[in-house]
Amino acid sequence: MKKKVLSVLLSTAMIASMLVGCGGGSDTPAAPAADSGASQDTADSGEAAAPAASGDVEEITWMFWDDLNATEDLISIGYRETVERFNKDYEGQYHVNVVTTNLEEYYPKLNALVAAGETPDCFIVSPGPNLDVYVEPGVAADLSSYLKADGWMDTFNGGEGAFSQQTYDGKIYAVPLNIAAACVFYNTEMFANAGITTMPTDWQGMLDACEKLQAAGYTPLTISAGTAWCLSMLAGYLCDSEGVDTAALDAGTASWLDSNVVNATNKLVEISQYFQPTAAGDTNDVATANFYNEEAAMLIQGSWAIAQINGSNPDFESKCGVFAFPGTDGRVIAKSDSLAMSANTSHPDAVIAFMKYFTDDTAQKYTAEVGGKIPVTTVEYDASKAPAQLAYVMDVFGNAKSTFGFYNESLATTEAGSTFDDTMVSIYLGTPVEDGLASLEDWYKNNIWNK
Amino acid sequence: MDKFLRDKKAIILFIAPAFLLFTLVLFIPICQSIYYSFCDYNALTKPVFIGLENYKQLFTIDRTMKIALKNSMFFLIFSVVTQLIAGLILAALLTNIKKGRDFFKNVYYLPCVLSSAALGLLWMFIFTPKLGINQVLAQFGIEGPLWLMDTKGYIILPMWVIASVALWQYVGQSMMLYMAQIAGINSSLYEASYIDGCTRAQAFRYITLPLIRPMVATAMSLNAIGSLKFFDLIFNMTEGGPNHMTDVLATHLYTQGFKFFKYGYASAIGTVLLVLCLLVTFIINKFVKVDNYEM
Amino acid sequence: MKKSGRKPTKLITKIIYVFLSLLAVIYLLPLLWVIYVSLKDDKTLFVSPWAMPEHLMIENYSFAWTAGRLGVATLNSALVCGITLILGLLVGSMAAFAIGRMRWKLSGAMMTYFLTGMMIPVHCILIPVFTRFSKMHLTDNLVGLILPYLTLSLPITVFIMTGFFQSLPNELFESACIDGCSIYKTFTHIALPLSRTGLFVTGLMTFVANWNELLLAMVFISDDSKKTLPVSLSKFVGPYNTNYSQMFAAIVIAIIPTIIVYCMFSNQIVDGLTAGAVKG
Repeated sequence: MKKKVLSVLLSTAMIASMLVGCGGGSDTPAAPAADSGASQDTADSGEAAAPAASGDVEEITWMFWDDLNATEDLISIGYRETVERFNKDYEGQYHVNVVTTNLEEYYPKLNALVAAGETPDCFIVSPGPNLDVYVEPGVAADLSSYLKADGWMDTFNGGEGAFSQQTYDGKIYAVPLNIAAACVFYNTEMFANAGITTMPTDWQGMLDACEKLQAAGYTPLTISAGTAWCLSMLAGYLCDSEGVDTAALDAGTASWLDSNVVNATNKLVEISQYFQPTAAGDTNDVATANFYNEEAAMLIQGSWAIAQINGSNPDFESKCGVFAFPGTDGRVIAKSDSLAMSANTSHPDAVIAFMKYFTDDTAQKYTAEVGGKIPVTTVEYDASKAPAQLAYVMDVFGNAKSTFGFYNESLATTEAGSTFDDTMVSIYLGTPVEDGLASLEDWYKNNIWNK
Repeated sequence: MDKFLRDKKAIILFIAPAFLLFTLVLFIPICQSIYYSFCDYNALTKPVFIGLENYKQLFTIDRTMKIALKNSMFFLIFSVVTQLIAGLILAALLTNIKKGRDFFKNVYYLPCVLSSAALGLLWMFIFTPKLGINQVLAQFGIEGPLWLMDTKGYIILPMWVIASVALWQYVGQSMMLYMAQIAGINSSLYEASYIDGCTRAQAFRYITLPLIRPMVATAMSLNAIGSLKFFDLIFNMTEGGPNHMTDVLATHLYTQGFKFFKYGYASAIGTVLLVLCLLVTFIINKFVKVDNYEM
Repeated sequence: MKKSGRKPTKLITKIIYVFLSLLAVIYLLPLLWVIYVSLKDDKTLFVSPWAMPEHLMIENYSFAWTAGRLGVATLNSALVCGITLILGLLVGSMAAFAIGRMRWKLSGAMMTYFLTGMMIPVHCILIPVFTRFSKMHLTDNLVGLILPYLTLSLPITVFIMTGFFQSLPNELFESACIDGCSIYKTFTHIALPLSRTGLFVTGLMTFVANWNELLLAMVFISDDSKKTLPVSLSKFVGPYNTNYSQMFAAIVIAIIPTIIVYCMFSNQIVDGLTAGAVKG
């Protein structure tokens, strides 16, 4: 009997392996059979990386959150050019393969790769709690020595200060590639028609401007509450202008029920009467379209929106002005894309060489002149080539006394940030301020302060 | 005959490929995931066993879990009931008409073959106040509601909207299953009933319904499991927002696991989901299914 | 009596047709809207979503096709889903036959065992499956997609096919047994052909589910030349803004093969219906 069972098991195992083999056999053109000899392996990699098929080339992978061929995002297109330039210049020595997903699946895939011990040699990451996750368990490598070795760090605008969001215990774990600042974009024509001659510099001025615009028959402000971080950007500015201290909130020495948070939230409710009527349901794309299609006078957005605005409605560039969010005492929200290196990479030199291509003059010039983002290095760029709005954003950024991150990327965890976003949306949708903040306080008690 | 159907070797041969595949590829990972539900695990570091901590948090302090459970239950009841009724009605109507049966059947089944993600996006578009249905309503002077952002009531409007879209998308599936089963009914049964003076409605009530009862149980279980696991449409229409008001178990799981890197916690939600599915399937089979109807 | 009985039937038939037609409109309008949006450009889409496009943006399609590499992607999807479909139906209905027709103690337990596979979201098992496959060097490889797809379609195949096998009349098997037919031949020559309708329905359901699967495909495949259709479609979703009209064009392209397969299968189901003679 035992023998019989064994033979049956064996035969089923055979069938199973046959099935697998059959599956593999029918897609030989694409699949490199994992256990087959080296000959097929090289043939396959040769197909994938045609220009660099020789054995000595150090192959590295870079993981990114937008497809480089299908994208219309100008910054992503710039990255594509950087990759091409790197692969051409280092032909025969280094070769980078780009692995892309869309943003939604980026972190799931990255984490699956890390869990399987296949961390990509280089990967893009947002600073803040998203980067914490890779720094704490030692997934991301310490880059300080590379940055300090040959004056690479000195090319950055502000030297070591450029890395404040990427530094942990004095060690730098990621390299910023460009900076976007959150500003108020406005329609100069509408402002002129409404009789507004000086840009608002404080909260009352902002409300007055909204009032005048509304009186002139315009929708003063377009914003998206459907995409929570858009509304939260405004809330973040308001909290900061009331002096809310995120570090104290994380530590539990301040409360979400403190008067400064309540004041900030009340301001949010106050200004919400000037939003476009469909704000609650509009997504980020729709809210931005409202602005460049001249259906609203102001848009509070990160400077990455410049490319989207000018790309969708080129005629609008000349009418679009920018000013700093009023009443923040010279503080500006800034966000950077950053590159991290795997701590387990076997080709650190190739990765560093690759990273340097993102911060060299060609790439940084492109960032400013075409991409419309703020360069991280001290590169000289041709301001006349850059989008008109970039000069204004540069002014805002240059005049800023200090910067701070997006609220949802500055709080204790990504979940804390997201909870903040959601609370602000629910308050906008009608939850009383006290109730909304009480539930946020409650969440902090359960998830942050008692840990 | 009995010996014929008790052939051990044949049983093992028939079951083994599926059993091996399922165990290796799916069941072991499921067990792993259940183990993770007792751990503090973020996929980047080794899992740390913490006992029932995740479940304690899930059922005592997680407010989103309460909303998700409520929404999932709503979804379960809504879709099981509406799909059963609408699916049966459509199947009955379509088997009884002569012209255009193929056309209607194909049209109603069409959304089932399209990706839920794409359809979710499409419906999100249609319910966006600036772009979709509200613009059409405005032409008639009606101010449409905030279809996907309204937060009033116990079961909020967006949940009704999403549930209706889900019905729209999946009712074709139930219809098709019922139709396939009706196709297997011996036509002499109907002929005999008409000779006996039965009306079509009576024939449906006394012949079709009892004979497709096993399929009703099957389709209901599929619906129930599908609606508890429901993810794509919600994720693409609202992402669980505003403020988690439209979260269901599967979207809550996704957010916790993939947005906030709490795999252990997400696995606990997954385990709850698994238990719920088992429970519901058991109940349906207990009350709807009858043992082997012989024809 | 007969005459008076006919008239309301006719009226009822008319009402049924009106109802069915109205429903058909609800089904087709949103889908036609997809095609309509795919022919506009993003700017006019936001300004006047319902207005007719000024000029048709056919280039949305050519861009989607080339930039999204939809050709290779369609081929990969067809390969993966086709192989999965055939293997899945075979392996699944074998197991279903053993569970639904053969007599052994554990058949009920085995059914529940397979059913658990349907009850856990794929998100939960993503990390364990991926680490396992990665150790076996099955990632970035179409076989590495076929295996999980095949396994994920097993529960539903077993579940539905068991029902179909159970509804086959007992006499069939008795006579097969008396005629000296082997159990294997009974399966291939009697049970399978008679459950054809069931095979088509499950085949369609699993094929569609695999054809549209995104998460596993996205995580398991990194090489651009091995990506499947849903992954390629997601290329049009940018980090800050989405190119809607091009994405809708890509969606339309991706839909076409499904509709072809669907028409092939659904007509088979109708054949099954008519073969069983007209009902009622």
